[in-house]
Amino acid sequence: MNRRVLTLLLSGLLILGMAGCRPSTGASPEAGAVTLRLWVHQNPTFEAGYQALIDAYHQAHPNVTITMETFDYSTYIQTLQTAMPAGEEADIVQMFGTWVCGYAGRLAPAPADVMTVEQAQQLYYAAPIGGYICDDTLYGLPQEFNIEYGGVLVNRAMYEAAGLTYPPQWETMDDVLRDAQALVQRDAAGVMTVAGFDFISTDPTAFSFLAGILQRGGDYWNADHTGFTFNTPEARETLEWMLSTVTEWQVVDPVLFNDTTNWVGTAFFSGQAAIAYIGPWAVSMGLTDYPDFGEFGYFVLPHVGDEPIFVADSGWGLSVSPNSEHQDIAWDFVRFAAAEPANALQWNITSSTIPAIPENAESAELAQALPWITEELSQLPYGRYLGTMPDRDQVMYQIIYPHILNVLQQVETVDQALAAIDAEANATFR
Amino acid sequence: MTKGAKRRGGLWAAQRRFILGVSIPTLLYIGGLSLFPLVWALVLMFFDYSPQRVGGPFLGLGGNNPFVGLNHFREMLVGTSMEAQLFRVSLKNTLIFAFAVLPLNLAITLPLAALIESVHDQIKALFRAIYFLPVVTSSVGVALMWGYLYHPQQGLLNAIIRGLGGTPVAWLSDPRATFLGVSVAMWAVIAAYLWQDYGYNLVIFIAALQGIPKEFKEAAMIDGANAWQVFTRVTIPLLRPTLLFVCVMTMLSSFSVFDIIQVMTNGAPNHQTRLLVLDIYENAFRYQNMGWAAATSLVLVMVVMAVTLIQMRLLRTEWEY
Repeated sequence: MNRRVLTLLLSGLLILGMAGCRPSTGASPEAGAVTLRLWVHQNPTFEAGYQALIDAYHQAHPNVTITMETFDYSTYIQTLQTAMPAGEEADIVQMFGTWVCGYAGRLAPAPADVMTVEQAQQLYYAAPIGGYICDDTLYGLPQEFNIEYGGVLVNRAMYEAAGLTYPPQWETMDDVLRDAQALVQRDAAGVMTVAGFDFISTDPTAFSFLAGILQRGGDYWNADHTGFTFNTPEARETLEWMLSTVTEWQVVDPVLFNDTTNWVGTAFFSGQAAIAYIGPWAVSMGLTDYPDFGEFGYFVLPHVGDEPIFVADSGWGLSVSPNSEHQDIAWDFVRFAAAEPANALQWNITSSTIPAIPENAESAELAQALPWITEELSQLPYGRYLGTMPDRDQVMYQIIYPHILNVLQQVETVDQALAAIDAEANATFR
Repeated sequence: MTKGAKRRGGLWAAQRRFILGVSIPTLLYIGGLSLFPLVWALVLMFFDYSPQRVGGPFLGLGGNNPFVGLNHFREMLVGTSMEAQLFRVSLKNTLIFAFAVLPLNLAITLPLAALIESVHDQIKALFRAIYFLPVVTSSVGVALMWGYLYHPQQGLLNAIIRGLGGTPVAWLSDPRATFLGVSVAMWAVIAAYLWQDYGYNLVIFIAALQGIPKEFKEAAMIDGANAWQVFTRVTIPLLRPTLLFVCVMTMLSSFSVFDIIQVMTNGAPNHQTRLLVLDIYENAFRYQNMGWAAATSLVLVMVVMAVTLIQMRLLRTEWEY
């Protein structure tokens, strides 16, 4: 063996040896310098909230640097789905609670010293924590109560211009639709320029459909949660009511107002929708894009039946990669961000989301910072977890919403849509 | 001369090293980025594979990603699942799109090329540049621009229609609006795609027209042919090799169109503009249904190959000028 080859071999061994001398995985937050990566989906207000948490954690633990990497929503899903099997995900990953059980095999269980399942169930509302518990194991901590049901934005100027009482006094959904009818505006050709009540968007449409089924006494799950039951009288009644808003009440044109053509959040803040059905998280986004928007209110819709039962996703939160070399520090950050009430509340205020912790949801600080959210608080105890679906996004966005839109656009009958939703959603259990 | 520099197989050692040096990186590149994904896709189409599921020990195949043989193809033909229905809708839409784009493209580019070819050389260059500009424009930009033109309430097209006293049209979102049995949304994306794409064929036709010897046209005119007869009986037959190239390339690009559709409609309304590549993308990267997407990709390749072979058969020439 000549000298050059020998030198190369020894250099290689030296590098390997040095690589083996990295800090052990059991490093504590107070140990040597540690850099962690955090993956989140792109949303300016969410990112601002995370950056504040990162800065606060760094101040408390100067040796820990957390770098945030962001992806737009659809890229984020694809990145998680491809990076996790390859074990290349970040140390801390932002997860949507409803996805968590689908990834449970690729996430680190929460250590008991961070939080137990029982402690988590005591700390958080049932809906947000529901998705993070899979087979009695905790795989992350929620940061928000992701409510898409029941809340609407109302444009005050339009209300007053139409001669309606503001704030609205709604007892039933008919009251809402009567106001909405008065708020509709059309151009000379009869084209709807302002929707009175715009509820046609993926989440509002799908979640109000599911809530409608529950409030009418039905359920979309079978007894043991192994299949869906969408072709029921309660589902039919709900869908027929939705169709009546288009055909009889004519408060929205589903061709001009839908997720692809004119998203409900944009429609509201650009003055094309007077009452817009959307989660409170859309408020800060809308005010960022339309800072000069006039006065608006956030109100809760009347419910059908005795109680405002609804379902909610287990919202955004944080999980830890089992491939992280510093799982303990990663979990410490997750606990710091999502389980320390003061930090969790600051993130909710910055991101304009409803807290997953009841104590924070009822705080005066939240009411002062995000007054529109307080309207929703009375509903939170009625929220159930959506349930672990084989592919939640496929069921909600590719099956339920498109078929309901077809019904509203009158290219599919109610019966056809319910049969298709039932068959297609059940086919996802394969 | 040293031992290593001996001549072998007609090449010196230095030449062999050079050849290996330049070809190995290329082969690795092609192998890694083309051949391996191709082989992997050929394997995946026989499995119900999703990288989300933890499968068997060998490349994640087996276990929760089971071998399904030809089931995907059977399902595409006769299945009732949502994937199968969307596949058939997408295939039909893709064929409509491709077979509408080709004649419309030729109907625009061929006469336009003949017109531009007949003007002064300096103006010709200007026209060529203007018409070629959309080709080098980002597809996403083109899609956004056409999206604004088609906007139901604020779009330019509907403003013109309103000005003329007509009824505005929801160009991209009305599932009930049809023209010649095809959805208006499909015609709308075809128009946008044609606008972006026709400059490419136009430049090719102009170059081909310049290559036709003037003597052929002059001889025809001496024999009494008028301009239309010269165009249809001399120019077009002599353009056959170019026509073949243009038809094949236009078909290939029509079958693989994705970005303009995704931005303008994302397959809406009611899947009326959902094309096969969008279907493959959604299955593969949105729902991680990789096995199904791989099988769909093979079907697309087969369809493209069949259409190309038919075109080559119909338009082949056995002469040169």
